[in-house]
Amino acid sequence: MKQFLLKVEPVIWLLFGQGIMIGTMLLTGWVLVMGVLAPLGVVDSLSYEHAHGLASSLIGRVVLVALIALPLWKGAHHIRSLSIDFGGADRDTELATFLYGIASVGSLLAIVAVVRL
Amino acid sequence: MSDPPKKTFVITRFDPDVDEVPKTQSYEIAVDPDWKVLDAVNYIKDEVDGTLSHRWSCRMAVCGSCGMMVNGEPRLTCKDSVSQYGDTVEITPLSNFPVIRDLVVEMDGFMDKFKKVKPWIIRAKELAAEDGPVRQSPEELEEFKQFSMCINCMLCYSACPVVSNEPEFLGPAAIALGHRYNVDSRDEGASERNAIFRGEGTVFSCSFANECSEVCPKNVDPAAAVNQAKFNAVIDWATGLVLPSGEKE
Amino acid sequence: MARPAHPQAMQPVKPGRTRTAPPTMPPQFPMTGRYRAYTLFDATGFLYLFVGFVALRVVWALGTGSAAWANIQQQLANPLYIGFHVITLAAVCFVAVRFFGLFPKAQPPRIGPLKPPPGPVIVGMLYAAWIGITVLMSAALMGGIS
Repeated sequence: MKQFLLKVEPVIWLLFGQGIMIGTMLLTGWVLVMGVLAPLGVVDSLSYEHAHGLASSLIGRVVLVALIALPLWKGAHHIRSLSIDFGGADRDTELATFLYGIASVGSLLAIVAVVRL
Repeated sequence: MSDPPKKTFVITRFDPDVDEVPKTQSYEIAVDPDWKVLDAVNYIKDEVDGTLSHRWSCRMAVCGSCGMMVNGEPRLTCKDSVSQYGDTVEITPLSNFPVIRDLVVEMDGFMDKFKKVKPWIIRAKELAAEDGPVRQSPEELEEFKQFSMCINCMLCYSACPVVSNEPEFLGPAAIALGHRYNVDSRDEGASERNAIFRGEGTVFSCSFANECSEVCPKNVDPAAAVNQAKFNAVIDWATGLVLPSGEKE
Repeated sequence: MARPAHPQAMQPVKPGRTRTAPPTMPPQFPMTGRYRAYTLFDATGFLYLFVGFVALRVVWALGTGSAAWANIQQQLANPLYIGFHVITLAAVCFVAVRFFGLFPKAQPPRIGPLKPPPGPVIVGMLYAAWIGITVLMSAALMGGIS
């Protein structure tokens, strides 16, 4: 497993790097409106029809997959990094498998979520 | 004439023949305001306590010998003035290293990592003397020059939280040096080094804390080298997927 | 007292002849000096992981139907969710600022014949992209785009 993780490390790093870059850029507006302004009533939340129309466009689907999946890889990689910084190197292989597993499952579910729109 | 100012130096001591664990010892001495921290440590050894052990050499920040933790930060003690510190100065051996005695740390682990990155020009085929010199433009030199300025002082290893916790990690200076050769236009060994960069001790373990570059006394910016090395290793990996091995330009 | 480092940290392949004291971590780790920003930067990983899964729930609800959509809007109005998103918004901005500052130095000097633009230009482009994408995303989520 350790050798496998070393082998796929470039892929993980790319996903993590884009998680920081693209994920952060996409998340800012999302968290601001969906997470704060709309729930607080400062702006109107989207109607179902409008939201569904936006989301099911091609660009909408691509953006939503990126918005869900990329932050998961950033999160997984940084939690792993934090674990190592606090002395968890000896169980790193198990933790990394678990965290990247979660990110993988989440990414797959993201694809399913936009396909079923 | 007024008394010269005094400072207290709290220095870590460790004699493996006598001490279970390191302990501290305080020395209150009069300091000359022109002194560097190293001068104070030398004074303590020469005039106060001859049993104190520490490394030093050039006294001018080019040999990299005198690295120690001063008030919790890795510093070259020949570079820092005593006057930039307060009345109490804590001096401990460099973090992340096993300690041989007092302020002297075990360096061989550092040398082991250096050797792993093949820090020399690798040519596919060695040129004969008759072929003449390999020419390199100033622009080509600029691409790696800063990474060649490392004085192997190990302050970056002391500051890196990944070095603390991942024994296999190659570490800032070794990766910076390997990257220096990868980027050198005369070198043809990038594939070999990228394979090492992706193996045990992988460059991808770096978490971009940037502490190595913050503490580097020679502005080598090892964090830049390590993160550029990650990028180059990914390109190397990607081209390896597309081009069968042996057909790289 | 500094935390212990990994007992094998910086150990040589061939051990020395005398007993050594074990390595210790830099004393300012984890929350003093510059290490604090770094530790927090890594810790935002938890928030990113959670917010990704919350976004997944929202999109899933959208795909389920209008009742599920209304339901998830209601759940997002829970003060705990709002608090989480406020903290996450701060974390996302913190990550962006730190990352954009470090990004230029991570560009190799050359990729083939292509040189990257100078550092300040790269930073400017990143901020422009961030602001632009945020404005677009916000406008879309506020009903301004259909």
